[in-house]
Amino acid sequence: MKILIDGIEIEAQPGETILEAAKRTGIHIPTLCYHEAFGGQGSCRFCMVEVTKNGSSRVVASCTYPVNDGIEVKTSTPQIDKIRRNIAMLLYKRAPNSLFMQTLYKEHLCTENNLTEDPHEKCILCRLCVNACASMGVSAISTVMRGTDKRVATPYDDAAAVCIGCAACAQVCPTGCIEVQEEGNTRRIWNRDFVMVACEDCGKKFATREQLAYIVDKSKQDSPEGELQLCETCRRKVIARKLETFNG
Amino acid sequence: MRKKSKKKQVLVCCGTGCIANGGLDVYQAFKNNPGGLFELASSDDIKATGCHGLCSSGPFVRILPDDITYCQVKASDVEEIIEKSIKGSELINRLLYRDPQSKKRVQNLDKIAFNSMQVKKALRNVGLINPESLQDYLERQGYQALHKALKMKPEAVAQEIIDAGLRGRGGGGFPTGLKWKACQAAASTPKYIVCNGDEGDPGAFMDESIMEGDPHTILEGMSICAYTVGASKGFIYVRDEYAGSVTALTRAISDAREHSFLGNNILGSGLNFDIEIVRGGGAFVCGEETALLASIEGNVGEPWDKYVFPTEKGLWGQPTVINNVETWSNVPLILLEGAKKFASTGTAGSKGTKVFSLVGKVVNTGLVEVPMGTSLRDIIFTIGGGVPGKRKFKAVQTGGPSGGCIPESLLDLKVDFDSLSEAGSMMGSGGMIVMDDRTCMVEVARYYLQFLAGESCGKCVPCREGIRSMLEILERICNGQGCLQDLDLLEDIGESVRTAALCALGRTAPNPVLSTLKYFRDEYLEHIVNHRCPAGVCKELSEFYIDAELCNGCGLCAKNCPVDAVQGEKKQPHVIDNSKCIKCGECINECQFLAVKVR
Amino acid sequence: MEIDVQITSESEELDAIINKYPGEKRYIMAIMHDLSRHFNYLPRPALEATARHTGVPFSQVYSMATFYKAFSLVPRGRVHFKVCDGTTCHIKGSQIIIDEIYSRLNIKPGETTADLQFSLETVNCIGACALAPALLANGKVHPRLNATRVRQVIAEYGGPEYEKKE
Repeated sequence: MKILIDGIEIEAQPGETILEAAKRTGIHIPTLCYHEAFGGQGSCRFCMVEVTKNGSSRVVASCTYPVNDGIEVKTSTPQIDKIRRNIAMLLYKRAPNSLFMQTLYKEHLCTENNLTEDPHEKCILCRLCVNACASMGVSAISTVMRGTDKRVATPYDDAAAVCIGCAACAQVCPTGCIEVQEEGNTRRIWNRDFVMVACEDCGKKFATREQLAYIVDKSKQDSPEGELQLCETCRRKVIARKLETFNG
Repeated sequence: MRKKSKKKQVLVCCGTGCIANGGLDVYQAFKNNPGGLFELASSDDIKATGCHGLCSSGPFVRILPDDITYCQVKASDVEEIIEKSIKGSELINRLLYRDPQSKKRVQNLDKIAFNSMQVKKALRNVGLINPESLQDYLERQGYQALHKALKMKPEAVAQEIIDAGLRGRGGGGFPTGLKWKACQAAASTPKYIVCNGDEGDPGAFMDESIMEGDPHTILEGMSICAYTVGASKGFIYVRDEYAGSVTALTRAISDAREHSFLGNNILGSGLNFDIEIVRGGGAFVCGEETALLASIEGNVGEPWDKYVFPTEKGLWGQPTVINNVETWSNVPLILLEGAKKFASTGTAGSKGTKVFSLVGKVVNTGLVEVPMGTSLRDIIFTIGGGVPGKRKFKAVQTGGPSGGCIPESLLDLKVDFDSLSEAGSMMGSGGMIVMDDRTCMVEVARYYLQFLAGESCGKCVPCREGIRSMLEILERICNGQGCLQDLDLLEDIGESVRTAALCALGRTAPNPVLSTLKYFRDEYLEHIVNHRCPAGVCKELSEFYIDAELCNGCGLCAKNCPVDAVQGEKKQPHVIDNSKCIKCGECINECQFLAVKVR
Repeated sequence: MEIDVQITSESEELDAIINKYPGEKRYIMAIMHDLSRHFNYLPRPALEATARHTGVPFSQVYSMATFYKAFSLVPRGRVHFKVCDGTTCHIKGSQIIIDEIYSRLNIKPGETTADLQFSLETVNCIGACALAPALLANGKVHPRLNATRVRQVIAEYGGPEYEKKE
């Protein structure tokens, strides 16, 4: 089906969202809580766009709005720019010491006001960490409480029994607010210490023991001693060599 | 079916308000009376009913067919009532309602202004039946609508609801018939029917009174819909705080199953439909359709964007019809009296009646059902009896935390879906809170924001962070630390929250602030510029004093002061010691001469 | 405030409550309601057992227990006050009630006294608007309150005595 985004006609697939169609065709719509591995959440509201359908317009979240035939989309209008400015300002007030938010604040031309700032907070509740952990199949963290008290935590803020220390949450976090402390053989994350395993080939510490045990358990294989104790780079080398011999 | 008995019937109001005031004790006193009543009636004819409506005058005892209603009855009055009005035909004057205008005693409560202007449709059975009795429901045309619907084509049933013009009574106002039609057209099965009983607006208890007082009407409405759209499972989501509703509905479902009104092969029609009750967890946001569905699924009550309607993808991604309690209670009525008759009440855009809970600073507090298009003035002053205690009307808050405050100048507005929205409020689920000059409109805005800050699910930024910020500003203003730029900031943030928030809770959250800013801006300025709260509510900005010219030294204020802050000789003007005063306002409440004032 | 309540010895009781329901996510709330009624709060082992029974990650069950205010992770008092802060009660002075309870018992909404005698919660509307402001004490409605009457109610339930004014 054909839709218009900022005057450009693009071919959209049924079932995809405006954001997906835009990304696919190289049109930029800013987002904060979107990750292609998890799809649109609809929580940050940064990706709002104006959609005109059958003559009437409304402002919608492009990450959850499914495309329909003939819609006209505008990714920037005075109203939408103001929404983004206010979202950036509000999140900045929440996490003023985060470099990420400081940059966003300046980019969106936010002006000063007398609302209080939280000097200790860095999380903007985008929930990418919770999604990452869930997609690993672990779900050690979740959002607790609701409203203005909502935050990301392990149950009872204790070391979570199911956490495998993979740090996927920290990798995906835009503000870098998840603390990962690595010292010697140990990684400390979410109040728990993990022992790191070194790559047999290059010696780089690349995963925790629990993480490897988890993968073995999930894949229901006996521990293939050779392949698993390699970091990603070295494992790719091994696979490349195998493919060479296969082709050759 | 039992023929209507010529014997007397005693209806004792056991709605939540009257229970709190001793209604159950009155009912027990009737049931326990040794032999007195059993001469005249079977024990079935002493009924504990749902809410009679005029909560400020309960507990009620209504005797039929003479139609005598006694008010503010105590258990100790019951023996006299039995002797004089049940065994005999005497009236006990002191227990009759006393009209505040004419000062006359009234026997039949239907005749007083509170009731005579009302048209009971959704509440047609509440207060007249024992909600635990299926028999009572059947005697008042119960389940006849279902019989009728089962003989029609499903498309014809949907069309009847469309023609009636019924719109959702929970606040959204979406045309119910169109919702049903859309679900009917959806191809995927299974389909679900859901009743939204999560009445969360503080001050609203309309749905509670229907769930407690006439539970079968909801079951019947849902069954009719199940037949129409092709659903086999229904859920009634009841707010956790409504234990009485859960009990009444559980009993009704059990009785309905026993008599083939629910379950397999309903009334031999081949329709299979059953209903399960799901209790809420104390979350106002679960009144929002998609949050409610998420909650039934076993998740936290976080809504999702409704760009695809629940009628296409609802509960577990399946086609779902979700309607409010009062909407469901109108459905059997439409089938019984026909779409045309139903649509003959109300306005062009809003057909039928609406139940309101009229509460706050008003003489007659309780449940009121009026045709759409009745004016606010009629509801508050004619039905409600106006503001008590010589105080002045200031505003009426409609639509709960999603609504706005309407000032005196707009009292002639007719109540329906569209008129109130145009004035910056909304009809909402029917909460109508009357405020007098002792209510601070800035503090009301602060109160609603505080409420919403605790109830927001926290998923989206505009609602979570926007409400937090607006609340911070309001608190500063109420503490005397506001500045003029705060008003611009409130409007700016409010505008973004209104357009960008994920669900209706967030999108309507700015309404109380924006509507009070529109109609009561002076009060905000008084707080900010003069550091004064004219209503005497914001403690930092209030000081009470006694006008010596009006004070006659009766001493009521001093007697009721919890901290001994009022001094004075008998018959001499009294004085408040502001260093002790905790500003609880008891002195103002007690003073008959309006001598206690706000400086 | 740390409150340590042993329930592992009662795990048969726990199983009896949980096993009434199928092991599916959608029964988590119903299970938590039953657990709450039995234990007067949601103990951690009970939540862990719920997670195992329904096959849902513990973090999600914990998320639900903290999201829904009907549940408490902290034991409630022998006397549990629910002060209505609905709009009608609010404009008729519910804040005075809350302040008075704080001044007599030193607890804020969501808290329990150290001796587990009293706990306080605010609720959104108990449907008794004609009797505002009101509170529920262990489910019983106390209507038409003011600062003085709140003190009487607290004393009635075994709280600190108050001095009657002459």
